[in-house]
Amino acid sequence: MNAIQAKPESPDYDPITIEIIQSSLTAITDEMFATMRKTAMSSIIYEVLDFGVAMFDADGNLASSGSGIPGFIGMLEPGVKAIMKKFGKADISEGDIYMTNMPHFGGVSHLNDVVLIMPVFVENRIVSWLANKAHWADVGGAFPGSISPDAVDIYQEGLQLPEIRIVDKGSVNQAVLDVILMNSRIPETTKGDFWAGIASMRAGERRLQTIIEKYGEPSVTYAIADYIALGESQSRRALQQLPYGEYAAIETIEDGQQLKVKITISADEFLVDLRGNPKQNNNAMNSSYDATYVDAQMMFKAIASPQTFANAGTFKPLKLITDKGSMFDAEYPAAMSVYYEVSMLIFDLMWKALAPALKDMLPAGHYSSICGTFLGGPHPETGEAQSIVEPQLGGWGACQNRDGLNALYTGYHGDTFNCPVEVTEQRNGLMVDRLALTDEEGGEGEFLGGKGINLDYRVMKDDWWLTMAYVRSEKGPWGLDGGLDGTTNYVVVEKADGSTQRYSSCTALPLQKDDVVKVVTASGGGYGDPADRPAAQVKEDVKNGYISAERALEIYGVEA
Amino acid sequence: MPKIRLATDVGGTFTDLVFYEVDAGQAVVNGVQAVKSHTTPPNFEKGVLAAVEKAEIDEPSIEFFAHGTTVVINALTERKGVKTALITTKGFRDILEIARGNRPDFFNLLYEKPEPFIPRYLRQEVSERLTYKGKVLEPLSTDGLSNILDSFKAEGVEAIAICLLHSYANPAHEIALEQAIQDHWPEVSTVCSHQITREWREYERSNTTALCAYVRPIAVDYLTRMENELHANGFDGSFYVMQSNGGIDTLSSAKATPITMVESGPASGVLGAAALGELIGEKNIIALDIGGTTAKCSLIDNGNVEVTSQYMIEKSQLSAGYPIMTPVVDIVEIGNGGGSIAWVDEDDKMHVGPKSAGAKPGPVAYGKGGTEPTTTDANLMLARINPEYFIGGEIAADMSAVASSFDTIGKKLGLTATEAARGVVRIANHNMISTLKLVSINRGYDPRDFTMVAFGGGGAMHATALAKELSIPKVIIPAHSAVFSAWGMLMSDLRRDYVRTHPIPITNSSAAELNGIFQEMESEAEEAYRADDIDASAVRFERFVDLRYDGQEHSVRVPIPNSEIDSAEIAATLDRFQDAYEKEYTYRLEAGINLVSFHLVAYAEVERPEMAKIRPLDSLQDAVKEEREVDFDEDGIHMAKIYNRDLLGSGAAFSGPAIVEESGSSTVIFPDQTATVDDYGNIHIHLSAHD
Repeated sequence: MNAIQAKPESPDYDPITIEIIQSSLTAITDEMFATMRKTAMSSIIYEVLDFGVAMFDADGNLASSGSGIPGFIGMLEPGVKAIMKKFGKADISEGDIYMTNMPHFGGVSHLNDVVLIMPVFVENRIVSWLANKAHWADVGGAFPGSISPDAVDIYQEGLQLPEIRIVDKGSVNQAVLDVILMNSRIPETTKGDFWAGIASMRAGERRLQTIIEKYGEPSVTYAIADYIALGESQSRRALQQLPYGEYAAIETIEDGQQLKVKITISADEFLVDLRGNPKQNNNAMNSSYDATYVDAQMMFKAIASPQTFANAGTFKPLKLITDKGSMFDAEYPAAMSVYYEVSMLIFDLMWKALAPALKDMLPAGHYSSICGTFLGGPHPETGEAQSIVEPQLGGWGACQNRDGLNALYTGYHGDTFNCPVEVTEQRNGLMVDRLALTDEEGGEGEFLGGKGINLDYRVMKDDWWLTMAYVRSEKGPWGLDGGLDGTTNYVVVEKADGSTQRYSSCTALPLQKDDVVKVVTASGGGYGDPADRPAAQVKEDVKNGYISAERALEIYGVEA
Repeated sequence: MPKIRLATDVGGTFTDLVFYEVDAGQAVVNGVQAVKSHTTPPNFEKGVLAAVEKAEIDEPSIEFFAHGTTVVINALTERKGVKTALITTKGFRDILEIARGNRPDFFNLLYEKPEPFIPRYLRQEVSERLTYKGKVLEPLSTDGLSNILDSFKAEGVEAIAICLLHSYANPAHEIALEQAIQDHWPEVSTVCSHQITREWREYERSNTTALCAYVRPIAVDYLTRMENELHANGFDGSFYVMQSNGGIDTLSSAKATPITMVESGPASGVLGAAALGELIGEKNIIALDIGGTTAKCSLIDNGNVEVTSQYMIEKSQLSAGYPIMTPVVDIVEIGNGGGSIAWVDEDDKMHVGPKSAGAKPGPVAYGKGGTEPTTTDANLMLARINPEYFIGGEIAADMSAVASSFDTIGKKLGLTATEAARGVVRIANHNMISTLKLVSINRGYDPRDFTMVAFGGGGAMHATALAKELSIPKVIIPAHSAVFSAWGMLMSDLRRDYVRTHPIPITNSSAAELNGIFQEMESEAEEAYRADDIDASAVRFERFVDLRYDGQEHSVRVPIPNSEIDSAEIAATLDRFQDAYEKEYTYRLEAGINLVSFHLVAYAEVERPEMAKIRPLDSLQDAVKEEREVDFDEDGIHMAKIYNRDLLGSGAAFSGPAIVEESGSSTVIFPDQTATVDDYGNIHIHLSAHD
């Protein structure tokens, strides 16, 4: 994508010192991450970890990041570059902090993800950048939570912050902050999350300045450049271990549109070709080029050295081609508040293309939907407005030597934690009637796909609402090598009168006391022919209730 | 006849025993003495008794016996517990398997999720439901319980964990369910979640209860065997078990919820540092314990040892691990110790640890086949450790093998063998400094306000360099630093932590509610001690509350006085919270403040005599063993005086460059540092004040 500054020539630096500085870079972003997590006001930040922090070289190339989610690793670089482009170095001062959230222009994802950016100066010169991006639970717009599959353009999705200077030489632009807070349905939380972001960057700046004082700016600059070069050499080496060739996949999604991908792996490139995909949608099922690039980064990293660090160098061998104006490279003012489901579609499609060739790295398909569930309404005790943003757990696909994992967050997530039932009930005033592995059956094979979940929320007061949009709602995750497909993601709303309705998406659906929102997530695809599963193992599955006796007989022909 | 007070600490390789004698007037007769014997798995009590014998102690003379054991953590990590079942609230038996859904190794799509300790067919449900306030929404029904128990019996279950939703707010259903189980099946071992903790978060509490039930029969057996063997030899004193919270507890309490012993060894080291601080007047301490494979550190603020209930086992960057929600001394650990291996990766970057050479083959210097250099080898290479007095002279260090191992690693980096050895020490130190920053600077503490107390085999070797880097003005290397954890147990009081989640907004008018809950918790603590024949008058309390801003998740623990709380006291407590919050996070909010949990610490103090002092220094010159050239890296290579620690009496004062040698440890004193020896034999090293 972007040129990376060449390594300084014939360095005369002690390798041990450089190593120590590089390990300190990780400590900087770790500390920024920890600070944000502890001080944020929204559970989507501190439990779901829908945020990321990063540090960059003077030119805005990613050097080190702190994230609980792989997708957030690459999400901050475009924002820093957008600020540099808009303001130019001459107009940027020490003590400034910038802000953007526009996905089409460096914000990458959706308006809820607000990016804060801070330059770090040494002797009146920018030596590095720090950034922080977090999901704010509400940024205004037509829909509570600022997210709806039904949004037709970005104006409906909330307040747009087009690369603005929110802190000018240390002074907060109070007028702008007031506007931002006034446009949120939950201004107190928004304010807390804003300050948490600032605190996180200040913690990082302090740590970076200490390192610069100790080792000197030239050593630190060299160590950063060397670290980025190291990221590149790790990736290139890993790329050489992969099977070269062309891999393609096609998938028909719920609305009948056909999606396709072609991936070419060669000695020096990982090329993702998404040309020929549908035009951008007249709803929020779109993603920006930058967001699509992040999806490609995640898949590349998953198969090329997944357990080493990632920075700008890591992704040098990666190339992405799209059609401008397609749903994977949507143009302004396309709505994209549910970009994350589009990301899941792309990620799953690339995974499906590569899995047959990379069985030692990739399982069969997983539930493949964030299953973002937005619930809101008055707390039954206090009457205060509640807003829950909860992705859901689901089943993972089986792989060549074991069953799939039960109840885990998606491949797009990472060190994300679900909200404990005991905490949800106290904080939000909902009741949870059940949280269990799903009783739906599917995903059998020689190895069994992992189980999704049943999660039943009971509404305890009138005037609540539900917004959700799940993909893989009609066709379950794909099996591999003869394994059966898994089950699907959806919600059933059971009204207090006993009537039920199934949804794969809805916006601000009204809920009253004693309505139950029953979330069902998919089980993953199976691996291998069911006939190859040993009968003793099938009996164990029945004993554990992972499958019923009837299903065991039907699929495996085993009497349990 | 003199009485003996002793402590034993069972470690991975050695069982340490420290003791002293007291006369009829409770005066200490001799100084503290220590012996080591080999640890004897799986019958750990044999090693303990061997140590008692080696120390030539008669069991009838022992009046106080404190014991630290790894039996719980071993049973967990080796999966050697009993077949265990779980009974929980209807709709929630999969909580234990669902866990929290996180995947720390987040790029890897072949992640392995930790398997629950209890399989699905042994997780059963009963009908009942409480609200988060503890109100009964649906009464407990034991219909079907006998079928459940019969199926457990048929499966060979030996222990049952009981964890019901919101039982932290009201344990009545758990109590009734346990009673019903015991009525039906009195032989089965049961553990209820509320007996361990009354904090919320159902997965963490369920897992803690499951793990406790899983190890309990093993721990009870072990402690019973230990007790029986001692009594058979005529022991008639008090027997206490070291806990993870930095206190000791009675045998009956340890047997009821043995999970509280899970991290007892490291905890007693930190407690030892706090006790030492109290003895010699140091209130602010950074405790550092460097062993063979790890370094552990903990911060003691104004004499207070921090305790947390967010302890995890088997957690790493690759695995979510398992939470254990029991109070554990807040220790941060890193895989860097004396045996940590230095290696160069494919990109020519040098790393130290986390892989360790262990006891076999051990460092290259052992000559047992190790070829990859360790931190210990680097210290030998730099002559900070005396090759002629390696492990107290037990092993002749194979220095040519050491030199050649650094030569190999150095070549990859374009460094000489000596430069490579310096690099290993610098990287090892850097790793430890990062960990020390986590407990100090990152939490808003200024290291200049602290004294470092360093122990374990490698503590004395690295402490002064680390303190220098962090601007810590003083380092103390305690007497008995190699058996310091056991020494800490000798200095422990009984300690029980009661934590209760009870989320409420806290305002000036919350006084009555706070007083009521603390009084209830105090009565519970007094009653429990009374059941162990400890009178309420011997019990001392400390109170804390966990507070947070409205809407935030992370709470900050602040102290609150024992006296009747009034509105002025609440206002002062809220101020303390705001100060503590700002200290850690650099800003404060105007938001409302919530109280999340009440925390009561109930101590029962152990009477103990005053520590004996060592004899004064005879002659500093006599304590000098030799002079040799030592490499102090950036501070140059110097002829350094080598002192024999055993001959350094109280009042000794000397300057670096120097090394103090004792069996199994060496203290490195840099050129601009000075050292003194106090009345109890601790070495105080003063760093020159550069800033």
